[in-house]
Amino acid sequence: MPLDTSAYSLALLRVDGRRWNELRRIHAQIRTQAAADGSSYLEMGHTKVMCVVTGPSEPGPRRGTAGGGGGGGGGAGGAAEVAVSVVVAGFSSVDRKRRGRGDKRTLELQSTISNALGSSLHTHLYPHSTISISLHVLSQDGSLLAALINAATLACVDAGIPMTDYVVACTAGSTSTYAANDENADPLLDLNNQEEQELPGLTVATLGESDRVAVLVCESRVQVSRLEGMLVVGVDGCKQIREILDKVVRDKGRQMIQEGTVEKGMGLEDMDLD
Amino acid sequence: MPATREPEADLSVLPKADGSARYSYAGYTVTGSVNGPIEAQRRDEHAYEAHVDVIVRPAAGVGGTRERHLETTLQSSLTQLILVKNFPRSLIQIVLQVESAPENDYVNTKLVQASLNFAIIPALLQTAVLALLSAAVPMRATATSAIVAVVSQDGASELVADPSPREVEAAQSVHVLAFTSQDELLLAESEGDFTVKEWDDVYDTAKRICCQSGATKGESIEMVLDEKGDNGPDMRQFLRSTLETKVVADLYWK
Amino acid sequence: MPREAEPSLNERQFVLQALTENLRLDGREFDKYRPLELTFGDEYGVADVTLGKTRVLAKTSAEVTVPYVDRPLDGIFTIATELSPMTSPAFELNRPTETEVLLSRLIEKTVRRSGAMDTESLCLVAGQKCWSVRVDVHVLSHDGNLTDAACFAVVAALRHFRKPDTSMEGGVLTVYTPAEREPVPLSWLHSPFCVTWSFYGEEGEIALLDASWSEEQIRVGSCTISLNRHGEICQIAKLGGTPVEAVALLQCTNVALTKVKEFSTFLDKKLAEDAKRRDKGGLMAELSAENDR
Repeated sequence: MPLDTSAYSLALLRVDGRRWNELRRIHAQIRTQAAADGSSYLEMGHTKVMCVVTGPSEPGPRRGTAGGGGGGGGGAGGAAEVAVSVVVAGFSSVDRKRRGRGDKRTLELQSTISNALGSSLHTHLYPHSTISISLHVLSQDGSLLAALINAATLACVDAGIPMTDYVVACTAGSTSTYAANDENADPLLDLNNQEEQELPGLTVATLGESDRVAVLVCESRVQVSRLEGMLVVGVDGCKQIREILDKVVRDKGRQMIQEGTVEKGMGLEDMDLD
Repeated sequence: MPATREPEADLSVLPKADGSARYSYAGYTVTGSVNGPIEAQRRDEHAYEAHVDVIVRPAAGVGGTRERHLETTLQSSLTQLILVKNFPRSLIQIVLQVESAPENDYVNTKLVQASLNFAIIPALLQTAVLALLSAAVPMRATATSAIVAVVSQDGASELVADPSPREVEAAQSVHVLAFTSQDELLLAESEGDFTVKEWDDVYDTAKRICCQSGATKGESIEMVLDEKGDNGPDMRQFLRSTLETKVVADLYWK
Repeated sequence: MPREAEPSLNERQFVLQALTENLRLDGREFDKYRPLELTFGDEYGVADVTLGKTRVLAKTSAEVTVPYVDRPLDGIFTIATELSPMTSPAFELNRPTETEVLLSRLIEKTVRRSGAMDTESLCLVAGQKCWSVRVDVHVLSHDGNLTDAACFAVVAALRHFRKPDTSMEGGVLTVYTPAEREPVPLSWLHSPFCVTWSFYGEEGEIALLDASWSEEQIRVGSCTISLNRHGEICQIAKLGGTPVEAVALLQCTNVALTKVKEFSTFLDKKLAEDAKRRDKGGLMAELSAENDR
């Protein structure tokens, strides 16, 4: 039990044998579906997520209420709309649970991912278009929002949509609950399901290797003093993840050139270098 | 805190709505907003007149069949008042939010009830009329309404105007009537056992309450409660004076 | 339904230019809230909050019902936020917009998930009867910063509410009406409040508290932090938008803590005033049905 601080402080090892600042095994692939504009498959430990990107393409039938009522309207015609749909499979968690489409939690996830990517993708290059991102969750073991954001970023990179930098996310937690004002509490990196349920944690997404935070979601009670430690560890974890994701993209590119699918240097003239 | 026996109203309380009003009387406080004429949905469009959409939101809980019934009743009354032929294919949207209603302290109320709720109709109608006036929606006439309960006391039936929730529960029949400013009967809803004679008495009482002009009495709004069968507050005069106050305030800089 | 009028390019540029020169349209400082007013209704559990021109009404009600099957020892606690066309013609009933869903989730995380109210105290008979407390949030007027106003209203309404008294005698549960026994307050653990920051500028370097409606239309990002006055964060939600420096977010959290302490003192003061006001006479004096004059 990760909360069993006696065992933790003995060997400083978490339930799965990691230390406080170690990420889980991250495995990612891009271009998993040849038919789609962009696709990716990401595993963060046992959290497995698939993503497919279509776009930029013709916008669907305009729903009057989408973007109405304050907030997200901004330049509805002037920039591409990022439409995200998240489907959590019923078999993804330990107990079978079917999530309806209109579930508020799912809507919130969709809105978060849409806004997060919207801030990095160069949507102003594609007015009156829609970029559709479809995410499917196959297995959940903590850090769901982080995995979704990472998978969506990879798929957008694969689709060739210009962006400022990768939007990478990961989770961080703290071994102290809100009750214990523990000065020696260690922040933890990359929480799994058990740790997420028992310990306070947050999900943070940064823009590439900078310290700029695009998404910060904390749904548990935690002392203000713990926040700084968790945030620092989270941002650092994001930097590590960015390197991993970048390597995946570059390896795939190298492989495609070797296979002859793509000519080396092709498209450089076509690129719109801002 | 005792319920106010004086009606009170404020106009244009909501900055974003085309027109709004807040009305409270006899323990009921209702805030109403009017938006219109605005574009109507395809399914609600009428070729030659405007569609009047009334939405009643209760203080607690989401609306159920009771609120739908109130909405239908009010919609038919208000459609008669508003000059709908002037705005074909448009929508006049009226939202009435019940903020407080007098509660029967002797009973633990359940949240969702399918039974009728007549006692609130006068408050709703009054708020709607005030909000429409505030929005400057062209109307043929204004309306005032009253609720009268027939209570049997010592064998004889007695008419009680503005009954409390307890009196409504114990009454033999409850009647809501609304009259336009041209003394025409606009709305008549009744519930319970009553004879035609009783209904005629109710009609007379309600007409007296709604249609009395301020000229007959020296003091117009002051409550005179020294006799049984009192007339209650002069609703028409109240409407007038509310609007007058507002116009004076608006034209302050002129 | 008709769309909201979006701010014109001129308006956007004007507001942004003013912000870079440290000026807000209504002359407030960047970390100042609009005047906050709170009135309680005549009955228990009604709170009317005005934040500038934003007006939110929260009403609490309770009834006895059957608890959830998987939680026989807990009561039911729901918060309903439904935006009606009164707020703006752009909102339709029964068609939740993004604003509504996010508002509902934020308040739920702040008040329900953080355990502000003890749901176990709502249990009457394990597995058979429990209290179902419901807070309805009605937004009467929307001029920006619905989240903070709504959360404040919910917390105020819940702390003000009194549920009917009950007693268990030999397996028989009696629920007393307000006329028989004075109602009792809910079991309240801590009071969380929301503080919403809005970000402007290329890199989100300008941060404002309590944005009005026009400022909200122009912002590039926002972050809502919920805390209680003991310095516990109940939730943080920065759901996308322009990336902001992590250091700036930490500073925002610290300022938020000061604001929350102010809110807390304000609410305590208002509740005390209201209690004093009601103390003159008890329930018997309030029965106006009997006393005609």
